[in-house]
Amino acid sequence: MQFAFGEEQDLLRSTTRRFLERTQPLGALRPLLEAPEVFDRQVWRHGAELGWTSMLVPPEHEGGSVTDQGLVDLVVLGEELGRALNPGPFVPTNVVADALSTAGSEDQRRAHLAPLARGEAVAAWCVSGDGSVDPDECAVTARRGNDGYVLDGVARFVHGATVADLLLVLATTGDGPVHLLVPASAAGIDVRAQACLDLTRRFGEVRFTRVAVAPSGLVPADVNSVLDRAVDVATVLQAAEAVGAADRLFHDTVGYLGDRRQFGRTIASFQAIKHRLADLLVVLEGMRAATHYAALALCEGMEDAPAAVSAAGAFVGDGFAHLCGEAVQLHGGIGFTWEHDVHLFVRRAVTSQKLYGDPGWHRERLCAWAEAS
Amino acid sequence: MDVRVPEIPATYDGFAAGLRAFVARERPTLVGKQRTGLRVPEEADMAALRTWVRAIYDAGYRLGRFTVDEVDPIEQRIIVRELAAAGVPYVLGNPLVSGALKAFGTDEQRDRYLPPMARGDHIWTQLFSEPDAGSDLASLQTTARLEDDHYVVNGQKVWSTWAQWADYGYLLARSEPKAGPGGISAFVLDMASDGVEVRPLREMTGTTDFNEVFLHDVRIPAADLIGEPGAGWMAAQTSLLTEREGLGGGTGGGVADGLVALARSHRRHGRAAIEDHSVRQAIGSFEARSRIFRALGYRAATKAASGTVDPWDAPLTKLWYSELNLEVAEYGLALQGPRGSLVEGDPGAWDDGSWQDRFLYARALTIAGGSNEIMRNVIAERGLGLPREPRGES
Repeated sequence: MQFAFGEEQDLLRSTTRRFLERTQPLGALRPLLEAPEVFDRQVWRHGAELGWTSMLVPPEHEGGSVTDQGLVDLVVLGEELGRALNPGPFVPTNVVADALSTAGSEDQRRAHLAPLARGEAVAAWCVSGDGSVDPDECAVTARRGNDGYVLDGVARFVHGATVADLLLVLATTGDGPVHLLVPASAAGIDVRAQACLDLTRRFGEVRFTRVAVAPSGLVPADVNSVLDRAVDVATVLQAAEAVGAADRLFHDTVGYLGDRRQFGRTIASFQAIKHRLADLLVVLEGMRAATHYAALALCEGMEDAPAAVSAAGAFVGDGFAHLCGEAVQLHGGIGFTWEHDVHLFVRRAVTSQKLYGDPGWHRERLCAWAEAS
Repeated sequence: MDVRVPEIPATYDGFAAGLRAFVARERPTLVGKQRTGLRVPEEADMAALRTWVRAIYDAGYRLGRFTVDEVDPIEQRIIVRELAAAGVPYVLGNPLVSGALKAFGTDEQRDRYLPPMARGDHIWTQLFSEPDAGSDLASLQTTARLEDDHYVVNGQKVWSTWAQWADYGYLLARSEPKAGPGGISAFVLDMASDGVEVRPLREMTGTTDFNEVFLHDVRIPAADLIGEPGAGWMAAQTSLLTEREGLGGGTGGGVADGLVALARSHRRHGRAAIEDHSVRQAIGSFEARSRIFRALGYRAATKAASGTVDPWDAPLTKLWYSELNLEVAEYGLALQGPRGSLVEGDPGAWDDGSWQDRFLYARALTIAGGSNEIMRNVIAERGLGLPREPRGES
């Protein structure tokens, strides 16, 4: 039993942390918080060299992981990117890369995987009209035309839509849903940035008006298994980002409370504060253990992988949001200011909690799993 | 990353089959009901249990916790698996002292006490807490005064498990002039000594799993000191850490197991509770926390094996388990509706009141082994390095 990261993964972590501290500290995001775009393609490309988009891509398409557990490697990166509140479409790009690696046609793999792995292309995933992963909420239709498909409709809460080069689109047809690969530059695609609580990432509403997709855009594998796999991968990576962000905020909060003095003593010496921090550490470590186990189970195809992923999905989003709320309260007045970073975490936690299956969705899946076992 | 436990090689098939046959042959049928948690058997079953544990030992099956000899880890896994599957206790008494004897005892003490403890010939209790020294254990007041080659002990102990059947006690008493932890020594106490009086306590569960022990001029040979005089606190900390890991650890069945069965067989708003959205959400949430508990166990085991344990690991696991267990028990009662108030003995009680017993006993786990409030102090102070609680005058 070795339920811990190995040396290579620790090295990956420290390298990534140093890189992010140098190139994209939280302070560097400050001027961009209310700008139309916060994503920096330059940083993303350098990040790609560190493996941000290559872990789930096979070597023949310029991918490669640090260990033979690419998804576990990716969790290390996700934690570090989350820690920096990095704006990049880490989750959707890897989800799309994974979908193509595991289910794409040979042509699709050859055309798209290397540019994604190199960080030259960015991908986004258009799932539904309401941000859920429920196929019933899919609001894009694909009509079979003479040559391929014609898309109409809308997808919302699409992380990275404003900068994406490639879209993976779930669409309904007369006989069930399909996954289609569409260049973001295709005629008839219109992207509007959604004004969102989360200031460190951008989400888009993607409108499709008579968008023609060649037959080669169809992802050939069974759509439900591709969707299930994509939700699982997205849940794990989103959880990893949440763990990294929560870890940083928690330790920053502990540090602040140790410095802040009132009534002639540091406020971290009050038992009311200490016990709250102890409870938050319990939440944080639960988030971490849940995420690591989910990544391992999914990566190794263990029998309980769906339940392991949903245990993370059910716990991590809520845990992150709770921890952020407590961090504001424990900071007191300073935590209520725009200047202090804590609200950036609070805001991030809201989108983390809602996307790729919210905690309620995962709880339902776990209950169904418990019924079946 | 890897959580797989290595497969048990086929070369152990014979060993496992032999043990299974042994269990099938020797396993006693008990009169008393098997209840949740670390419970003490009824008197009627003690003779049968002693015979059973002696038979295990005499057949050559030894648990690693009772020996300083090398044990085969694979055999240990088989022994624990098969004996646990037998469904009756296979360790008698509270063997908290074994860790202290192994770490701090003399060779003579280990030879004298460990084998009979393993064989169930000696049942042990712990004599730690006092009426005025619970969470603040270091303030304990029981005294041990050295007179020639004996200590003379006076005081009162409480929350001693198994004391009603115990042959020996693992005693903490104040022998040195120092206040606080530095004045405390650890002893082996022969419970048959003059001046030892055991009074069983009946707890909120209605059962008797703990005792009060009164010590009046009890004489303990100086040779029965464990470790150095004044080193008792360290011995106790070592033992309690093991106990906390025991309370919290484990990777067996899920804490939330049983809720689905309850929700299927009880109704809510005119339909099976399992069809109710809020019930499904609650079960999903408990299932998540239960699965995360198992993952925390994998991590604790990994850290223990590599010697990288953090001071907050054991208290964190204990908090996680004991609070989840209590909430699951409370929810189990809630699912039963008004019937949730019926207990063992009533024909309408579900599963003969097992959930009601679990509900009441769950408080033992949030309080025993260091209350959860003390666990939070340990996490904050030793784990996060925050200032210690101010000490009042004692």
